[in-house]
Amino acid sequence: MDFSRYLERRWDDLLEQAVQHAAVVALSVLLATAIGVLVGVLTWRSARASGAAISVSAALLTIPSLALLALLIPLLGLGWAPTVVALVVYSLLPIIRNTVAGLRGVDPAILESARGMGLTGRQTMWRIQLPLAWPIILTGVRVSTQMLFAIATIAAYVAGPGLGNEILSGLAGLGSANALNKAVAGTAGVVLLALAFDLAFVGLRRVTTPRGLRV
Amino acid sequence: MAVETLGGAFGAATRKGRGHSFATPAVLAATLVLLYLWVSTRQLDSMEARVLSAAFIRDAALTHLTVTAVSASLVVVIAIPLGVLLTRPFARRLAPWVMAAANAGQAAPALGVLVLLSILFGIGTRIAVVTLVLHATLPVLRNTIAGIQQVDTALLEAGRGMGMSRGQILRRLELPLAVPVVMAGLRTTIVICVGIATVATFINAGGLGDIIVAGIKLQRTSILVTGGVLTAVIALALDWLAGLAEKYVRPHGI
Amino acid sequence: MSDIKLVDVTKQYEGQPQPAVDAVSLDIAAGELVVFVGPSGCGKTTTMKMINRLIEPTSGQILLGGADVMSIEPNELRRHIGYVIQQIGLFPHMTISENIQLVPGLLGWNRDRSRRRADELLDLVGLDPAAYRDRYPRQLSGGQQQRVGVARALAADPPVMLMDEPFGATDPITRERLQKEFLRLQAELRKTIVFVTHDFDEAVKLGDRIAVLKERSRVAQYDTPARILAAPADDYVASFAGSATAIKRLALIPAVRLPGEPLDERDGLPVLERGGSARDALDLMVRRGTSRVAVGDRTVDFAMICALLEDEHGR
Ligand SMILES: Nc1ncnc2c1ncn2[C@@H]1O[C@H](COP(=O)(O)OP(=O)(O)OP(=O)(O)O)[C@@H](O)[C@H]1O
Ligand SMILES: [Mg+2]
Repeated sequence: MDFSRYLERRWDDLLEQAVQHAAVVALSVLLATAIGVLVGVLTWRSARASGAAISVSAALLTIPSLALLALLIPLLGLGWAPTVVALVVYSLLPIIRNTVAGLRGVDPAILESARGMGLTGRQTMWRIQLPLAWPIILTGVRVSTQMLFAIATIAAYVAGPGLGNEILSGLAGLGSANALNKAVAGTAGVVLLALAFDLAFVGLRRVTTPRGLRV
Repeated sequence: MAVETLGGAFGAATRKGRGHSFATPAVLAATLVLLYLWVSTRQLDSMEARVLSAAFIRDAALTHLTVTAVSASLVVVIAIPLGVLLTRPFARRLAPWVMAAANAGQAAPALGVLVLLSILFGIGTRIAVVTLVLHATLPVLRNTIAGIQQVDTALLEAGRGMGMSRGQILRRLELPLAVPVVMAGLRTTIVICVGIATVATFINAGGLGDIIVAGIKLQRTSILVTGGVLTAVIALALDWLAGLAEKYVRPHGI
Repeated sequence: MSDIKLVDVTKQYEGQPQPAVDAVSLDIAAGELVVFVGPSGCGKTTTMKMINRLIEPTSGQILLGGADVMSIEPNELRRHIGYVIQQIGLFPHMTISENIQLVPGLLGWNRDRSRRRADELLDLVGLDPAAYRDRYPRQLSGGQQQRVGVARALAADPPVMLMDEPFGATDPITRERLQKEFLRLQAELRKTIVFVTHDFDEAVKLGDRIAVLKERSRVAQYDTPARILAAPADDYVASFAGSATAIKRLALIPAVRLPGEPLDERDGLPVLERGGSARDALDLMVRRGTSRVAVGDRTVDFAMICALLEDEHGR
């Protein structure tokens, strides 16, 4: 069966896998953003604390994903749970690092103004620092998202959702007529999804960057 | 595998501030000891006993390290000369195109490439190495180019002014000054290789992935934990070693 | 009211051999513009920042309208003290109007009132609200940004303003224009202002009184510009004020600040135009061949101005 016929016949399944792939990545990145930004906000002032947070998240990123998934199975079983946890763990480094860099990058004169005007620490963080650091934080989120699309394929091996299933079923049917079609569909699907998200990030960046920073 | 897009993620940035202390190897060694104690106090059934035998683990680890080492060496042999070539005047205009192509290739998930290649060319260690090299070349290539391009042009001018030939400038100025950046890329590459080598088990290429897969298939926690911890420890240890090397091959004065 | 009183205020930074501010006492009357002037590192900024508690004094007392600032919640205190710094520090992600509305918003003013207030202030600092309120800081020149900085500090109509070299980063022409506008503004608003500079000319031009500070923020002389020029308390002040440009300095002293006698209309003296300096008064005398001119409702005479110069040269 040629590839276009294969696509036509399996379109609905592929679409569902793609949606699940995107969903698990999006969910994980949202969670990781919440956690990573919080860690960044709590540690940016102290070089030691933020350095430790970055070192730990870098070490976690060094662990091969199949190994991390294996270690999560006894705790969380198979499926979405270990997948999401592993993906969250892997996306922390770019987000934490960029949050720290973004918060550190805010002009000290701006912080002094804010303090001099009587903004509390929390008000300064919410109204001044986070908006100013946002474009850099968002870049970290974007980097993480790109990374997760590839990693998420491996989660299929622990019964995770997404296009990894298509790839693995190609491998399982090695030698059969559709093996190549499956592998190509799965791989290309992941690449296309990643591209689409990257484009979405360009738009998101435009929409969420405060206008005063773009002029 | 977790880091197969590290190169894309972190660009030419050097990963500083890690790998200098001996806390890392101490923690890793302690982890291994704990793992050993934990496993040895358990009643192992026959399947566990087979997978968790010294011989099986040694074979898996050796294969893993070999695949990683061979791939990383091939990457060095391919990427550094290619990077140098792409910074020479006659090829400089090609560099952005090569980088763009390499970046695009990076977006493909390693697992997908691994499976595709094995469907097309057969399974086994060799195909695993090919996949690893394809995926892990980018960080070193990118960092070689970036490392050479970041060398201060005033220095090169001074070199020319002193009558150094192009080759001498490359060997005596550009390459030594690019070393730290290139090494950072190599470190990333090694981590990527360890990761992809783990999933190489899917195409019968051996390695520590064998233990993990056995753990998942047999549903044995002891096997899962052993495979996961061993793989993680090896990845962190190699990263630490690479960090150490990064520190020591740096030319004095930088 | 809003007078400021420093009583034996000391600031000892951690790990420094000497205090940065050493037992300084100073009274600043309500509605008065006092300039702290002194060489770099003498402690001007430190002294000023203790007033709004950006820096906490090690010992001593600062009274604001009779109340100890240490008894007021710092953020509450700061919302009622205008604060302007050299780097301006406008928030780049907020429009000009939003920048100005921030403190009123924190104080719970409603939107409409804050918005009207922002427009009013833009007008006051010479920026057309319609043209500027919706712009972002990066779309303004440095001088315009500094005007917005002043407007923002004035937003909640604080009785007290602290200004740390607000015009220090602008070019001489812009600075002069900002200084002039600022004087006009202050004549209207009569805020209690502490103004820090290390430019003595600026101090003379702007200050009702000048506190000449030496190391550790010790007060070398605290007096009106005219009297500091005429009778420096010691060599330090004299050298700081400089003597070579005595005549030039006359141009800095507004003639209304000179000591004078009540004017008798029948004398028919030449009248100095409003805003004229001591130098302008001297000029007028020479051109008209008189020894006295009318300045507002008083007269200033030649001997008085000569005394100013002589004092300077006599040393
Ligand atoms: N946070 C700090 N920690 C330690 N020492 C400080 C600190 N801030 C200021 N100092 C020291 O206190 C002294 C006074 O500093 P201050 O900033 O008040 O001087 P200044 O008169 O405003 O100088 P300039 O005209 O250069 O702004 C200086 O010697 C300075 O080095
Ligand atoms: Mg200062």
